[in-house]
Amino acid sequence: MNLRSILTGVLLVLFLAGIIFFIKRNKPAPALPLPPVTGAPGLLKVQGPADALVKLVEYSDFECPSCRNAQIDIQGFFTDYPGKIQLTFKHFPLTSHKWSLYAHQAAECMNRQGKFWPYQEKVYEKQKEWAPSNVPPVQILARYAEELGANMDQFGKCMADVTVTRDIYAEKGEGNTRQVTATPTFFLGEERFVGPKEMQERGENAIRKILGLPPKPVPEKKQAPAAPAFPIGIPKQKVP
Amino acid sequence: MPEKSYKLLFLGRMFLGLVFAYSGFTKLMEPVENFRGAMTAYEIIPYAVIPFLAHGIPWIEFLFGAFLLLGYLPRISALVLAAMSFSFVVLILTVRIVTGVLPTDCGCFGEGSLIHLKPLQVLIMDVCNIFIGIRLALLKSHPFSLATFLQEKPSSGT
Repeated sequence: MNLRSILTGVLLVLFLAGIIFFIKRNKPAPALPLPPVTGAPGLLKVQGPADALVKLVEYSDFECPSCRNAQIDIQGFFTDYPGKIQLTFKHFPLTSHKWSLYAHQAAECMNRQGKFWPYQEKVYEKQKEWAPSNVPPVQILARYAEELGANMDQFGKCMADVTVTRDIYAEKGEGNTRQVTATPTFFLGEERFVGPKEMQERGENAIRKILGLPPKPVPEKKQAPAAPAFPIGIPKQKVP
Repeated sequence: MPEKSYKLLFLGRMFLGLVFAYSGFTKLMEPVENFRGAMTAYEIIPYAVIPFLAHGIPWIEFLFGAFLLLGYLPRISALVLAAMSFSFVVLILTVRIVTGVLPTDCGCFGEGSLIHLKPLQVLIMDVCNIFIGIRLALLKSHPFSLATFLQEKPSSGT
């Protein structure tokens, strides 16, 4: 390798890195300030008191297994820090999930009947039932709505309403402007946490910091049990 | 080397370089937390190393992808990208064997990018990339490249 090659390499790296820094610098900041909340106030999907110290925003996809897993942690936050957490749900149906939009449409229809939270719980809980369907799972989603006591006439009309779909895409668009690319993505003010593991590891400590609590203690490693936890021959069930 | 054969390898070089340069570029344009999150979905990667990988991998992909496109250090770049493709294949297969499932988002390109691939498609592409990378690394001279241009001795003016 001669000097000319080395110099070319250095210049090339500087040039390429310069391009990246130049584009990033001239790009508008994604989440600062927070974009205005889209949708009518009555249609916002908010859980928890308005004066809560911790205001979490979640961009989620109903067909995403990680989003289902994250619900356990989120519910844990409500239990561990009662009255301190407020959660706002935002639709973010991923392009790669074929039935996701149907589930989001159904959930938004239930939101219009004031039943969003129990419905989203049901949709996540039964994800393995409707997500692998070979045909659009409209009937399955309608059954869940019926089980929760929805007005099925309204629900049926709403499922065909394109304005509801537009509202869902408006929320996704809002996520896109905040550079949300994967689900679940949580925002705690300006800080973002992508995925359930990040929420567990960094997110909870960020919550505790806002609440003036010390960081979460690292759990002690438990000793392996002497006997197998599951009798031989019985396959271990996967924890969702 | 026959010209026809090199034309094919040249296309392979462009493909491999573009895939990695684009993949690195999209990651560098997004907040680093997005790639961190995508990596945590691969449950076998130790959490402690994820912040370092999340900062390093996009730069390696982008720089070596661009090097290969331009033909600067083409053999080394091809080898680095083949090694990365190999590590992705190992990662995907290990996660599949250990956890039984694959993350829906491979973390290769963001949701905002033009390319959306399923894990199996990514696996096939990575296997192809390994072969292209190794073949390119074994090639001694790369026509239409910066390396060839730099090897030529500058003509001495009289």
